[in-house]
Amino acid sequence: MDKDMMNDAAETVVGPSVKIQGDLNSEGNIRIEGSVAGKVKTSQNVMVGESAKIAADINAGSATLAGEVQGNLKISGNLILQSTARVNGDITCAILRVEDGAQFTGKCTMGGAPVAAGKVKPEPELEQ
Amino acid sequence: MYYYILDPNHLDQATFERKHVELQGLLAEFKITGEIGRVTSLRSIQDLVETASDRGVKTLIACGTDDTFNLMLSALHGRDFTLGFIPLDDTSYLSRILGLDSIHTAVKTIAARRIEKIDLAIMGQTYFISYVEFGIIASKLKNLSWWNSMKALNIPKHSITIRIDNSYTMEIDCLGGMVANTRSTSSKDMSIANPTDGFLDLLILEKLGRLDIGRYKDLIAEGLLEQIPGTSVIKCRKVEFLEPRGMGLTMAGRVFAKMPTSIEIIPLRLRLIVGKARTF
Repeated sequence: MDKDMMNDAAETVVGPSVKIQGDLNSEGNIRIEGSVAGKVKTSQNVMVGESAKIAADINAGSATLAGEVQGNLKISGNLILQSTARVNGDITCAILRVEDGAQFTGKCTMGGAPVAAGKVKPEPELEQ
Repeated sequence: MYYYILDPNHLDQATFERKHVELQGLLAEFKITGEIGRVTSLRSIQDLVETASDRGVKTLIACGTDDTFNLMLSALHGRDFTLGFIPLDDTSYLSRILGLDSIHTAVKTIAARRIEKIDLAIMGQTYFISYVEFGIIASKLKNLSWWNSMKALNIPKHSITIRIDNSYTMEIDCLGGMVANTRSTSSKDMSIANPTDGFLDLLILEKLGRLDIGRYKDLIAEGLLEQIPGTSVIKCRKVEFLEPRGMGLTMAGRVFAKMPTSIEIIPLRLRLIVGKARTF
């Protein structure tokens, strides 16, 4: 994640030593480097840094995750799981990009039926 | 009708008399003379605001230092005035915010009556349009030598608990920070410290290493905390400082309240006469 770009764009920035408990609502972009327990909500973008620990449901327009998230994600647009991301929860999004090394445990819904991560059945071999 | 509150406090006698004469000349030149109430040991700013209110005055002008303007704001108690400011002190930070770099510019601006509606912040019984600080004090840091400012910033961190918008609680170990409505370095294009957006900006500076103290000292002294990596930036309407009890909140280097206390924003509450070179 381009940190400078994130700094410029984020309206709410939660620094590395910050611990938040409760509902973090914003009307703009949110960048989280610290800990959040509760809920995170914005119609804009959420960026979760590598050092961040989130124990919260996230409801956002788009999201880029590089840290740890324990909770459900409801993203109306793009969701990017970067290589350092660890997500434990269900995901609902329009477009999903998962980089090599990202960890995800949960269900994923993309405008249709949910698919359980890590439990996708291999396609049956065609009979000759 | 204009009512001028003339305050000699915090100014040396000779400077005050010289600026007073200059002011009277300019008020006559720009044809905006009105009643002048001078602050004395027997007549406080509060008394003068009461007098102006009783006489049905619509425009109050503070002539003096930043303190004069801040005390005038505190004395309003919700009454509806259009406000102006004429700085008699060359170090005024409010004059930079409002774009009034001299007595001449300030009088010319008042004559032109360029009025902007801006947000008003309230902390306890104190109204303000600028910012309050806790922990490190930027204005004091500015006047320190390089070595002393390094020492001033190399202090133990404060553990602060803050509640935001009655919605969530923050716990943070920090050097200090500020709650800004506007400041002398803001501008309309920037989202931080815009006094017309209906929000307060809470900026919290985390503990820095020695190298970072040296690198970011000037930014801290300018109050541009959001440009320092790791700084938390929260846009909100209400900030409640819960812990540590007794920690001071300062305005222009003077303690105005102690924790626990709260700060709220009243959107576009104040009608203020501002200059072309204002920072918002």
